[in-house]
Amino acid sequence: MIRVLLVRWSRYNPYYLEPEPRKEVYHIPETELTPEQKEERELKSVRPIKAATNSVTSSVFNDPVLSKFVNMMMKDGDKIIAKGIITQTLENMKRKQVEKYHKAPEVKKAEIECNPYVIFHQALENCKPVIGLASIQKGGKFYQVPIPLTDNRRRFLAMKWMITECRDNKHRRTLMYEKLSQELLAAFSKEGNVVKRKHELHKMAESNRAYAHYRWW
Amino acid sequence: MLLLSTYFLFSPERRTANMAASGGRTVGSFLWKCGNCCFNFNTVSSNLTRQVLSRQLCVSAVLHRKNLAAAGPEKFSEEFIKKQVEEFNIGKRHLANMMGEDPETFTQGDINRSIAYLFPSGLFDKKAKPLMKHPDEVFPKQRAVQWGADGRPFHFLFYTGKQSYYSLMHDTFTKALAVEKHQDRLRGKDLFTQDAKQISLVGSRWLLKEELEELLVETISEHDYARFIQLMERLLSLPYCSVEEDFVQRYRRQLEIQSSKQQVQPLQYDQHGVAYSTGDGRRKTAMGTVLLRDSGSGSISINGTNYVHYFPVLQDRQAGALRLAISRAMLSFLSEGQVETMRQAGLLTPDPRIKERKKPGQEGARRKFTWKKR
Repeated sequence: MIRVLLVRWSRYNPYYLEPEPRKEVYHIPETELTPEQKEERELKSVRPIKAATNSVTSSVFNDPVLSKFVNMMMKDGDKIIAKGIITQTLENMKRKQVEKYHKAPEVKKAEIECNPYVIFHQALENCKPVIGLASIQKGGKFYQVPIPLTDNRRRFLAMKWMITECRDNKHRRTLMYEKLSQELLAAFSKEGNVVKRKHELHKMAESNRAYAHYRWW
Repeated sequence: MLLLSTYFLFSPERRTANMAASGGRTVGSFLWKCGNCCFNFNTVSSNLTRQVLSRQLCVSAVLHRKNLAAAGPEKFSEEFIKKQVEEFNIGKRHLANMMGEDPETFTQGDINRSIAYLFPSGLFDKKAKPLMKHPDEVFPKQRAVQWGADGRPFHFLFYTGKQSYYSLMHDTFTKALAVEKHQDRLRGKDLFTQDAKQISLVGSRWLLKEELEELLVETISEHDYARFIQLMERLLSLPYCSVEEDFVQRYRRQLEIQSSKQQVQPLQYDQHGVAYSTGDGRRKTAMGTVLLRDSGSGSISINGTNYVHYFPVLQDRQAGALRLAISRAMLSFLSEGQVETMRQAGLLTPDPRIKERKKPGQEGARRKFTWKKR
């Protein structure tokens, strides 16, 4: 039997299960559990559980998508600065939206979204590509083949594009949070460079539709 | 003058030589025979103890034989094992008397403690320390002779080499066929339902390969073990497998409930009658102790200063140490269900992650030196 040496190993025994930080899960009474959930609970009662990381909390303000975005923004392990930028971005977005809300006529007021978290999530959703391209070698040449993407990959691409866009295409004097809030608001209303990049990817995939059968998985 | 009724166990190979020369031998000559003996016995007065000593055996502490089936013909006959058990029991009672404890309620733990007390060993190797255990744990399980006087084996699968394993597989498959037949009969009578009572498998695991070998008194390969597990899973996949529940449960071991492993300290009360509890936690090199008082105002102070001033930034490893300390301190105030909830949220496990060491030939733990083609 060949032993596969895993390069990525963890300090935990593989027997340990992941922790569940959300509080709502534990408040469901016994009667409303589905059989799978019951089984999962019983399994959890006999297995040891890993420790929860510092970034994960059971509070209502904990957002896994936002935490991931903060981590991607972080440079050299400086989470404080990254978290600061994000907080400033959200505040900035709120301010702009509230200003717009007050200036708008009565009819339009209901349509303006003020919650920065909602805007952030919707903007990210609008940036996510539906289909991706992979470079596949066939007969000595490399073709760009359209492939389906997993949820994680789509989310990652959206966040990556957003961050690179904000880092590269901005004026020297504009601060990061300023540029980021502009881009997020644009993405929320489906304008801006990031959604343009998403549309270009879709067009490329559509044009390379003929090579779709090169994919074997 | 120390009265010793000791019962030491050493390796069986040398034992045969000693056993051949039993009864009438003096202690001195025995000591000379067993070269491994490292204890000097004082002169013994009692007749019984002399008999016990004269039947000294030289046996090493760990006797797990790798090849159980190929151990050859029985080395220890049944009467011999029975005698060993009697001697062990007598020796246990004598030991209890010596230690001044009740012989009736003398457990194995007490025996180990007493031996460690009477014969303190400065040796590091566990196998070299003196040991007194029940003969069933010491002498490996072996099978009685498998063939009769005429040389014909008793079991029909003897010539497969692994008769117990193959007979087990045979039995399991027969049971699977019986269950299928039962299902067909029910289908014929139109009584077949998909939601028949299922065997509850949560909280138990299959026997490990070593445990199965011990049960069968036979060595089996990993492939054999995998096939056995596969066959059992197949039996369990049938809807009406609950008919054979007893058979299946024989090959499963219960897993212990993890929450019972948590040590909850009882509440302590200070002079004003206010309940309080302490907890301490560690993370990397940060250590923290927490004193949690009941019915307080909810203010948190760290080293005298308010927590807001102490922790300008939320995420610090000291915060990780404190989180564990607070969770542990809270345990004594909470109920069982809440303790289990905390455990499943990952608040009670100490975080084992530490800085990975730097390896030679690399710049850091993972980063390699710049690769140069020439």
